Amino acid sequence: MNNKRNFAPIFFVGPHIILFIVFILIPSIYGIYASFTNWNLISDPVWVGLDNYKTILTDADSTFYAQFFNGLVNTLLFVVFTVPLMIIIPLMIAVALEHKEVKFTSLFQTLLYVPGLISISAAALIWSLIFNKQLGVVNNLFGSEHVWAATQPYAWLTIIVITVWAGIGGNMIIYRAGINGVSKDLYESAEIDGAGPVRKFFSITLPSIKFPLIYTMVMTTAGAFNVFAQPLMMTSGGPKQGTTVLMMYIRDLAFSHGESIAGIASAMAVLLGLVILVISAIQYYVMSRNAA
Amino acid sequence: MLKKIKLSKYLSYLFLIVVSAIWVIPVLFGIVTSFRSQTEVVNEGFRLLPVNWIVENYVAILENTSSAPILQWLWNSVFIATLHTLLVVVVISITGYGYSRMKFKGRDFLFFTLLGISFFPNVVNLIPSYKIIDILGWVNTPWAMIVPGLAGMGNIFLVRQFMKGIPMELDESARVDGASDFTIYSKIILPLIRPVLIVCALFSFTGSWNDFLWPVIVYTDVDKMPVTAGLLLLQDIYGNYRMIGQLMGSAILAIIPTLLLFFFAQKYFVSAINLNSGIKG
Amino acid sequence: MKKFLSAMLLLLVFTLVGCSSDKNTIQFWTPLTGEDGAYMDELVDKYNETDPEFKVEHVVTSDMYTKMYTVLNSGNGIPDLSIIHADRVPSFVKQDLLEPMTKVMEAQPEIKAENFLEEAWNAGNVEGTQYTVPLDIHSNAMYFNKDLMKKYGVENWLDDNVVTFDEMLSLQGKLEEGDYVLNDALISWVILAQIQNLGGSIEEGGKPAVNTPEMKQAIEAVKQLSDAGLMTPYGEDGYLMFQSGNVLFSTDGTWSSTGHAQVEGLNFGVTNIYAFEPSTFHNRASSHLFSMLTNEERTDEKEQGIADFLEFIRQNSIKWAEAGQIVASKEVVESPEYDEYMQSFFTSTPEEEESLYIYTYEHYPYIQEALDTYVADMIHGEIDVDTGLAEMQKFVEDKVSEGSLDIENAETEEATEE
Repeated sequence: MNNKRNFAPIFFVGPHIILFIVFILIPSIYGIYASFTNWNLISDPVWVGLDNYKTILTDADSTFYAQFFNGLVNTLLFVVFTVPLMIIIPLMIAVALEHKEVKFTSLFQTLLYVPGLISISAAALIWSLIFNKQLGVVNNLFGSEHVWAATQPYAWLTIIVITVWAGIGGNMIIYRAGINGVSKDLYESAEIDGAGPVRKFFSITLPSIKFPLIYTMVMTTAGAFNVFAQPLMMTSGGPKQGTTVLMMYIRDLAFSHGESIAGIASAMAVLLGLVILVISAIQYYVMSRNAA
Repeated sequence: MLKKIKLSKYLSYLFLIVVSAIWVIPVLFGIVTSFRSQTEVVNEGFRLLPVNWIVENYVAILENTSSAPILQWLWNSVFIATLHTLLVVVVISITGYGYSRMKFKGRDFLFFTLLGISFFPNVVNLIPSYKIIDILGWVNTPWAMIVPGLAGMGNIFLVRQFMKGIPMELDESARVDGASDFTIYSKIILPLIRPVLIVCALFSFTGSWNDFLWPVIVYTDVDKMPVTAGLLLLQDIYGNYRMIGQLMGSAILAIIPTLLLFFFAQKYFVSAINLNSGIKG
Repeated sequence: MKKFLSAMLLLLVFTLVGCSSDKNTIQFWTPLTGEDGAYMDELVDKYNETDPEFKVEHVVTSDMYTKMYTVLNSGNGIPDLSIIHADRVPSFVKQDLLEPMTKVMEAQPEIKAENFLEEAWNAGNVEGTQYTVPLDIHSNAMYFNKDLMKKYGVENWLDDNVVTFDEMLSLQGKLEEGDYVLNDALISWVILAQIQNLGGSIEEGGKPAVNTPEMKQAIEAVKQLSDAGLMTPYGEDGYLMFQSGNVLFSTDGTWSSTGHAQVEGLNFGVTNIYAFEPSTFHNRASSHLFSMLTNEERTDEKEQGIADFLEFIRQNSIKWAEAGQIVASKEVVESPEYDEYMQSFFTSTPEEEESLYIYTYEHYPYIQEALDTYVADMIHGEIDVDTGLAEMQKFVEDKVSEGSLDIENAETEEATEE
């Protein structure tokens, strides 16, 4: 019995670990290795030790230093703007959909899920047309005199709108699956105690979906740190590189027209990865403790 | 009491209708735009209905795919996404069980280390990843699309979180009856996590369906491409040339299959599967 | 579990049925997506119908350069022939990624400089060695709205085929609300043309020169147009505004003619990018070039096959004119059918042909990138011109020093090994 239990975990987690090593760990290690080199993606990387990190973090005159910090600040802004919305809006939708007398839930759900399926280039074009000063509806409706893509804070607004619009579907479904699993008895006994919908939400629903909440919080944040397509398509990073996120700089360095500067790009990616790691660890720790 | 339910019902409806309307109008605008000529788009701007409905955009898309078979692409995508999804469900449920309901030394440390590693942005990883696929001999085969995604941590994290909510007493009483881990996994846990597995399956399917960078790298044979990557070949140029109707049309064509899948799958993950003893914090 | 096992088994089976590249086909990669790819497909199909020894297999890739990096890195699956852009040539040659076209030119004597547009041919010539054979030149071009020009009575601007800064400035304050003289499409290409018009350069003794008096003059001149309210506002879609008939001039590319032609009632023509003087004008251009990535497995017979295909293209690429590009083969350009295409304007006279300018400076791509990042902010007054110039110079220098460091290191390493 004891022997068997020692080996059983290997059968359960082992196969995935092999996949992980081959398809994630090895490429990631290579990526980290590349951050200590000068590399143009084609010839062999040349080891330079900590040079890339020194340039990015300490050489205040360097373009890469400026890019890294500007990109990081913009990425953090994006995270702060979008993540709360991508948690709260789908949660409210899921709660409304769970209301026992609400019908057509499949229809509502489908309508809210569709935007996430549309390719980003088409989505960006749709929203650009909507925000377009001449042709669009937003400026006509609100009488705004600004060209949104090139004026702050509207440039950020366009990015936030398209991100939230396309991004809530997944979380909505996770919350629905979570809330769906909550025992109906709990709600009924709460109703007998005279609890209103608000109290039921805070005392039953929210604690019951603690794990899905932690999951969505961590994953949505990590995803938001990796953003690049939305700013690229909506504002091209402007005005004044005010919406250029770190991932855009990283991709430009590695895959732009000129010779690739993949070493610096990798170092920036590793630093971004560390930031993501620290923030998600804090989120996980705080949320797991608070809700326990 | 009755009044309260009524009020909350109307509020729920109001909220859902307003949000759905905001969400769906751009989609409708996109669909409608795919039936409008370039002339109309640039001259009329934002209108909900075209002055003249035209199908030329779709005709142009289909003509453009004559050298690249769109039906073949669709079949490729269905094959890849289905097989990928089936394998994902198997891998994540087994692995999730291991990380949540089995006890072994360093379990959580191992899990969070793997999760942490998977958070690193994989920009230049493209090069080594391709090398690995090349060594495995998977270039130009569907396996290059099906297998690497199985290594992902996101779904395992989700399944693990859900499994942690299922009381351990269930396992323990089964174990007293002499059940092995595999029996507990397949007979007790698997049925209970069905909703979340369907959610994961949906995510995997759409993720696999919508992936476009990787297939472009691993396929050189146009006939073997999945539809999203195939249509990207068109979208690229419609985007650059600002052929708005055609771009919209190709985007709409690409979402129809996943949309149908979603519509029919959703009744399973919200069906009244009562987890009974409850996912409780 | 059974399902899992059988799937794994299936997987193994498929693994064994790997792919093998056909020895008797020419793998031909291009970045030509959409309709461009369809035109190339037609050309390739026609060639294959001639029943050549080596058939051509055309592979269109939306992310070709990334894909090239991956295959070059793994050394497997390198294409036999590919189309690359002119600005890639210097760095590809420097990194030893291109095979010279010497054998191809020996096999087909008509593939020679005299039979192609000079600028396109020379884009593939590095220090006397020919590395590429051109398919086309695609250039920055200026489309004009005939109706609007008539409305403002400025049709005479086109008499000398060059619209000048001064001519455009003369419309200041005379435009109806919502009308504009020009848009800011491909604005960095326009700036690069002005540098040539001013006799400037983007390099100085091999070093990148961005912060130059000519660059400053070029940017300030365009900024003046913007300040005068003649240019479509920052962030607006000037390309679509041209199509909706509110803009006199659109500075986009030769290939856009097909897109503009889709708009009914848009009465447009094409001319040169605006300049300071009618006598000096340039259009910044690029070129699609046939090239062979270094690959030891490419046999001499296959290079013969490639030569046959390129000769076929040289004779038959009139089809390519439909994509809106300036075909590089002189035989095609001089044929009467070619005159039907709008872009034939750019090869109509020797002066026009000379106005097409392809930058071949090694670090040009970084300079283009710097312009793309900063120029819009500068001309629309978001950042000060001098600050922008200094930042661009620094941007390019930093990239150059990072990008070339590894090569130098690699060389010293090799030297110590010897």
